Amino acid sequence: MEKKEISGNLTSDARTLKTLLPAQDILTFDFSDGKSRKYVCFFADALTDKDLLAEQALRPLGRYAGAPEAKTMATHVLSPEVRTGKDFQKLAEEVLAGNPVVLWEGADEGLIVGTKKITVRAVAEPPTDVAIKGPREGFIEDVKTNTSLVRRRLKTGELMIEMLTVGRRSATSVALCWLEGTCREDVVEEVRKKLSAIDIDAVPDSSYLTRFLTERPYSLVKQVGTTEKPDIFCAKLAEGRAGILVDGSPIALTVPYLLVEDFQSSEDYFVPAYRATFTRLLRLFALLVAIYLPAFYVAAQLFKLQLLPVKLLLTIAGSIRDIPLSPSLEMLLVLLVLEVLNEASIRMPKYVGMALSVVGALVLGETAVSAGFVSTPAIIIVAFSGIGLYAVPNLIEETSVLRLAMLLAAGSVGTYGIVLLTALTLVYLVSTENFGVPLGAPFAPFIRRDLRDTFVKYNLLSLKERPASLSSPNKRRQK
Amino acid sequence: MKLRSRQILFFLALIAPVGKLVLMPAQIVSVSKNDLLFPVLAQLLVQAALVFCVLLLARRERTLYSLIESAAGTVCARIVTVLFSAFLLFAAFLPVVEQKTLVRSIFYDTIPAYLVFTPFFLFSAYLCARPLSSLGRMWDILAPLSAVGLAGILLLSAGSADYGALSPAGAAGVQGFLGGTTSSCSWFFDSALLLVLIGRFPYTRGLAWKGTLCYLAGGGILLFLLATFYGVFAEIAVIQAHAFARMSGFFSGMTVLGRIDYLFIFAVAFVMTFYVILPMQGAVGTVTEAFGGKKALAPLLSAGVNLIMLILVYLFHFHTSQVIRAITGTLFWIFPVFSVLLPLLLLLIFGRRPHEKIS
Repeated sequence: MEKKEISGNLTSDARTLKTLLPAQDILTFDFSDGKSRKYVCFFADALTDKDLLAEQALRPLGRYAGAPEAKTMATHVLSPEVRTGKDFQKLAEEVLAGNPVVLWEGADEGLIVGTKKITVRAVAEPPTDVAIKGPREGFIEDVKTNTSLVRRRLKTGELMIEMLTVGRRSATSVALCWLEGTCREDVVEEVRKKLSAIDIDAVPDSSYLTRFLTERPYSLVKQVGTTEKPDIFCAKLAEGRAGILVDGSPIALTVPYLLVEDFQSSEDYFVPAYRATFTRLLRLFALLVAIYLPAFYVAAQLFKLQLLPVKLLLTIAGSIRDIPLSPSLEMLLVLLVLEVLNEASIRMPKYVGMALSVVGALVLGETAVSAGFVSTPAIIIVAFSGIGLYAVPNLIEETSVLRLAMLLAAGSVGTYGIVLLTALTLVYLVSTENFGVPLGAPFAPFIRRDLRDTFVKYNLLSLKERPASLSSPNKRRQK
Repeated sequence: MKLRSRQILFFLALIAPVGKLVLMPAQIVSVSKNDLLFPVLAQLLVQAALVFCVLLLARRERTLYSLIESAAGTVCARIVTVLFSAFLLFAAFLPVVEQKTLVRSIFYDTIPAYLVFTPFFLFSAYLCARPLSSLGRMWDILAPLSAVGLAGILLLSAGSADYGALSPAGAAGVQGFLGGTTSSCSWFFDSALLLVLIGRFPYTRGLAWKGTLCYLAGGGILLFLLATFYGVFAEIAVIQAHAFARMSGFFSGMTVLGRIDYLFIFAVAFVMTFYVILPMQGAVGTVTEAFGGKKALAPLLSAGVNLIMLILVYLFHFHTSQVIRAITGTLFWIFPVFSVLLPLLLLLIFGRRPHEKIS
C-alpha cells in the first residue's frame, strides 16, 4: 500500500485523514490562531479527554502566532505527551487509540497530543486469588495502570517495560516486562519474537496469547503462568521470569512456567514456613483426591473390592444395592451434573445463585439419592472431588479433564487403567519444555536446591538463590 | 535432552531391582530350596562387575552403535546392533509376560477379560517411540516412588517374616546353587540394558564406582526383600508367584485400614511398567540410530515391536508356564552371551581411556 504523508494543504490532508477514519464517533474540530491560520483537530469522541485537550493543546495553539513547523508548535503545547507524525496511517492509529491529532495549513507534520481518557474500573482484590494476609491489589483491564502497579513494586532501573502492539484490527497494547540481568536474555528475545510474529485480527484477552507463546500449542497442559496479582507478578519477575501484560485483560502472563508454581500461593510467603508447607501439601493432597478418588471408587467396585476396608465395603454395598446404573455410569452422571451446576453457577446472575444451590443440593442431590438413582457414596465422593479441584484453581481446566479420563480408564480397564494413564500423563508432563525450562522441574529433572520452595517450603532466609530451573544469570537474591 | 549421570545411578539403585520381584523369587525357590539368596547374590556380584565394565565404556561418551562403527565399520555395527536389539526383544518377553500375570493377579479380584492387558502395549508403543534420553526425567520421579513402595512393602511384611526359615544356609548344595544361578540368568541382564544407554549421558568423575555401588545397594534391597519373602512364606514360597504383591498381605492393621499395602504394590507396579518397557525401548532406539534415525522410523518400529509382542503374549496366553520354563531353562544361555560376553568383549576393544589411541 502506498504510504501517504502530510502535504501541507489542510483541505486535502483533512480529507485524506477523514477517509481513513470514516466512523461517526471520530469528530473534527476546526479553529484558527492569531495569524488566522486554520487548524483541524481529529479525535475519538469517547476516548479523548476534551477538557484536557482544550486546555493543554487547543487554547495554546489558538494563541500561537509563530512559524508553522510542527516541532516549534509542539513546544507551545502544554501536554507532557506530545509527538509529531507525517504518515496518515500512523496518525489514524493514534486517533483510534484516543490521542487527538491536530493538522493545520502549511503543516509539515501533524501534532499528536496524549490526552487519552479511558474509563477503567478501580484496582480491587481479584476474585480468583484472595489472600487473607498480604496485598489485596489486583490487575485491572488497563495496561497503563497495570504497569504502574508493577513499577510501584519494583523501583529499579533494571525493570524493563517494552510496549508492543498485537492484533491487526484491535491493535492491542502488550507490555513485555522483565528485570534486566535477572531474566535470561534469550527468554526475552524469544517472547518478543513470538509476540511480534502473531498475526491475528484481535486480542480480546491475554489467554489468546498463551497459545502463541507455547511450543506445544495443542497441548492439554498449560505452559504459561497466569496471575491477577501484581505482587505475585513482581515476585515472578524477581525470580527471573518475563511477564506479559495485555491491554483489556486483568490476567498477566509469566514465562517460563513450572507446574509447581500453581501450588504456591502469595500467602505462603507471608505466613510461617511450616504453615506454608502444610497448606501446599494439603493442596497436593486435595488435587490428587479430586483426580483419583472417583476413579478408584469405580475401579474398586468393579474390579478390586479389596481396596476398601471391610466395614466401609459393607456400608457401600448396602447403599449401592438398589442402584440401577453401573458404578462407572453412576459416577459419570454425578460428575456431569456437578460440571453443569458449576458452569451454570458461574454464568447465571448472582440473585438466582441461591435458587441454584437449593436445586443442586436438595433436588439433584438428596432427591436423587432417595429416589434410588444414585448412591450416597457417589454423591460424597463427587463432592469431595469437586471441592478438591478448587484447591488449585489455576489447574482446574487440566485436572477436570484428567479426572474424567481417569474415570473412563477405571471404568473400562480398572486400577491398571489408572496406573497406565498416570504413567502416560507423567511421561507427557516431564517431556514438556517451554523456553528451555522443563515443566516438571525441580522434580523431573531433579534439582535438589529448588526443592526448598516446592511442596515443602523453607524459611525465607534459606531461599538465598533464585530457582536454578530458570537459569537466571543473576543467581543470588539475598546475602 | 540428555540423560544425567544421577539418573543412571537412580536406575541402578532403585529401578533395576524392581524388575526381579515378580516370578523370580518363587522360581529360584523351586530350584534351590531355601538357598535362594546365594544364586541371587552371585548374579548380583557378576552384574555389578559388568556394570562397572560398561560404565568404563561410557567414558568415551559414544553410543554402542557408534563405538562398534568406529572400530568395525557401518555394516558390522548394523549387524551387531540388530542382533543386540533382537536379544533385547527376546529379553523383554519374559518381563512382559510377568507383567501380564501380575496385572491379572493383583489388579483384579476375579479373572479379568482376555484383552485387559492390551492398553499396556499402547502405552509401551508411545514410550518406545520417544528417545531413550527422555526416560531420565521419569527415573527422577520413579526412584523415590520405588524407594517408598519397596520400603512400605518391607515395613508391612517384615513383622510377619521368620528369617530363621532361611537356615540352614547352603543346604541345597552346589547343585541347588548352580540351578538357581542359571535359572535366574533371565532376570539379570542389567549390564545389557546399560549398554543401550552409554553415550546418552555424560561420564562424570568416579561414575563407574558410584554406579557399581548403587547397583550393589539396590542388590542389597533385593536380597532383603527375598529374605523377607522367604521368611513370610517359607516352604510355600514356591507357589507364591507374585512375591512382592503377596508378602505384605498379613499386616495386622489391614482389618481396620483395608489393603493399604496396595498403595505400595501399585507404586512398585508403576515403576515396573517402565522397567519392563526399557528393553523394547532400547531395541527401538538402537535400531533407529543404526539405520539413519529418521523421524518416522522410531514410531513405526515402536508400533511394529509392540504389535509383535502383543501377538506373542496373547498367542502364548494359555502356555505361560511353558514359555517361562523355556526361557529360564533351555534358552538361559542367550542372556550371558549379550549381558556378559558382549560387554567384556567391548571392554577389551574399547577399554582404554578415551585419549589413548586404538591401534
